[in-house]
Amino acid sequence: MDFELTPEQLLFKDQVLKFAKKEIAPRVQEHDLREEFDWQSWKKLGEFGILGLHFPEELGGGGADVMTSVLAAEALGEAGVDGGLTLSYGAHTYLCADTIFRHGTDEQRRMYIPKLASGEWVGCMGLTEPGAGSDVASLRTRAVRAGDYWVLNGSKMFITNGAIADVAVIYAKTDPSSGHAGISAFVVEKGTPGFTVSRSLHKMGVRTSPTSELVFQDCKIPAQNLLGIEGNGFMMAMQTVEWDRSALLAPFLGAVSFLLERCSRYAKQREQFGRPIAYFQAVKHKLADMKIFLEAARSLVYRIAWCKDQGRPLNHLEAAVAKLFIGDWSLNPTNDAVSLMGGYGYCHEYDVERVFRDSRLAPIGGGTSDVQKVLISRLM
Amino acid sequence: MNFDWRAEDHELKKRVLAVFDAEALSALGSLEDCDSGALRHITRRFLERLGPTDYLRLGVGPEGSAQTLHLIAAQEELAGISRSLFISIEVTARLFGGLLKGFCNSSTAAEIAQSVAGGGTIGAVGVTEPPRVDGEEHAAAFSRVRDSVIASADKDFVTNAPIADWIAVVLDEGGDKTICLVRPTQEGVTVGPRMKTLGYRGLAVSSLTLRNVEVPQELVFGPFPESTLMDFLRQTEDLILSAASVGLMNTVIAKAKAHAQSHRRGGKPIFAHQEVRFKLAEMLTLYQSSQLLLFRAGWMISTGKEERKTLVRCAKVFASEAAEKVAGMAMQILSGHGYLSGNPIEQAYRDAKYSAISGTTSERARMEIADDVLARYG
Repeated sequence: MDFELTPEQLLFKDQVLKFAKKEIAPRVQEHDLREEFDWQSWKKLGEFGILGLHFPEELGGGGADVMTSVLAAEALGEAGVDGGLTLSYGAHTYLCADTIFRHGTDEQRRMYIPKLASGEWVGCMGLTEPGAGSDVASLRTRAVRAGDYWVLNGSKMFITNGAIADVAVIYAKTDPSSGHAGISAFVVEKGTPGFTVSRSLHKMGVRTSPTSELVFQDCKIPAQNLLGIEGNGFMMAMQTVEWDRSALLAPFLGAVSFLLERCSRYAKQREQFGRPIAYFQAVKHKLADMKIFLEAARSLVYRIAWCKDQGRPLNHLEAAVAKLFIGDWSLNPTNDAVSLMGGYGYCHEYDVERVFRDSRLAPIGGGTSDVQKVLISRLM
Repeated sequence: MNFDWRAEDHELKKRVLAVFDAEALSALGSLEDCDSGALRHITRRFLERLGPTDYLRLGVGPEGSAQTLHLIAAQEELAGISRSLFISIEVTARLFGGLLKGFCNSSTAAEIAQSVAGGGTIGAVGVTEPPRVDGEEHAAAFSRVRDSVIASADKDFVTNAPIADWIAVVLDEGGDKTICLVRPTQEGVTVGPRMKTLGYRGLAVSSLTLRNVEVPQELVFGPFPESTLMDFLRQTEDLILSAASVGLMNTVIAKAKAHAQSHRRGGKPIFAHQEVRFKLAEMLTLYQSSQLLLFRAGWMISTGKEERKTLVRCAKVFASEAAEKVAGMAMQILSGHGYLSGNPIEQAYRDAKYSAISGTTSERARMEIADDVLARYG
């Protein structure tokens, strides 16, 4: 067992941290308050190479391993980048682009990956529906083969990047009688007749990331837009879950580091009863609990990245354990951070309340904590 | 980065587990009911068996720190078999043995250390002093005469004292710390009656009194700066307690899961009920996160990382508090069965508290973790 990161990984993490602090973090508050996607930061993420970090260089990627990708995502959170932008990045890179990369044809890869890796195009993934979230088998969106086309009908709910996406990976039932084996994945481009964004949803946190409902009404897509093999959609969705529970969790880790730094500095400066509040035991205990959470969570997330780098295909138990831990246990440190900073912690301008709001998504998005418990108890 | 154990780690685990065959395990089942004589016999027997496995030689003293992670691989296994025996063995090998190897430089100390490593000696360490009542004079006294030391001291909660062959007593000498090696049977040394405790009842713990005990110079070591000696003792103890907590969780989860699969309610195993299986999922999550945190802390010590002290404190606080939660949830799953005296879950529930209050208490550890965090963010 060895927990050492390579000098290259550490160096890259540091570069991402510096870049994000300088180029992105100063713009976060403004966009969070306006509930607006930050196109300028998105472009900068693309230019820096983060959006396509783990794709091969010939497809416009950075050729990085999974661990480096996780470290980059962690660094974004640590720099103070909001959970909205990191969520959009995660959905774009891992849930959409990576699925096309893993299961698409060479032509599909060449067509989509360079544009997605550079940030020229935005991607999204449509799995959840108004009546089917964690229970994937009960999807109601249908795809019916009609000659050289597939015809999609149905709707998708809570779709990250839905309103701004140029391309979507959509899961639909191709054989309703076959349960999981009757689900297939399709690539659907923006502007395809019958594909509309019906409404944007306003949220408690991750507000810079647009969340939408997608509607498919007799939406005809070319037969070659089927991704991978017909009926393999459930397996593809399960593979994205590991990204959901590693690279997409990493910004939460980073966010707790961000809070720890923010709260430590505040505790040393803020004086009450004639001395800095850092001297008070109750304040110290809150800082310690943030640190303990951070260190306990870190290895869980790194473990999944390492498993993926080893080529171990599905690591559902490890992924579910990490997701459950970060989802449920991250609420305490973020709440403690607000308490520690008191009235300032409750105000927008101090960032802490934003992290508190953003982190509330952790036990919901990418499979709720209850679903993780079902999975863990099934696999243990 | 590598999350797999190496072949040599697996080999060590295998050698340690081989010591505990069916016959040996049956002896450990009654550990809680043993008197000190029987405990001494059982502990000695297992130390002798562990001697040839090299387990007792690993990670001993500050110089052995590079082997810490390798050692932890086996510590978790041993802690899962018998927590009381594990603590007794660790106090002998890592605390007592660690003091001998790292701080006691004499031929006699080297001989004792050799015996400890081979499983031939049971050791104890006396550090904690009883609370002083206001106005009460402290009995502690320390004076160096020509070729010996005359020492008086009161020590509390000395693990292994009733069964030990040797006791290392840590004494105050002008603000620094000095180690005296004494025999429990030596004139002026009194081992108090075995303390009755909430948990870890298979462990022999007592007070220790020294009154004008003459200790020959060759068995006196120091003085050492307090921080040097105490940092070593606390780090060693905290790692042992973290491993004990992780071992406890592993055992408890296996037993709770087996119970949930074999007991039925409403025509199906209770495991099928979400309120039971969700608890098991949370228990496993706490166990795995504690385990990885312990491994990482061990790796930091093995590789001499700057943040190792803080990570050990984090692991200790998290694992000990997680163990309490896990034992509580297991008790809830087993309900009445788990509440019966002698049930492994009832024992674990009682044992779990120990780790949070011994070594560096959770409260003190949190203060130290916070001090480190505050120092990092100037």
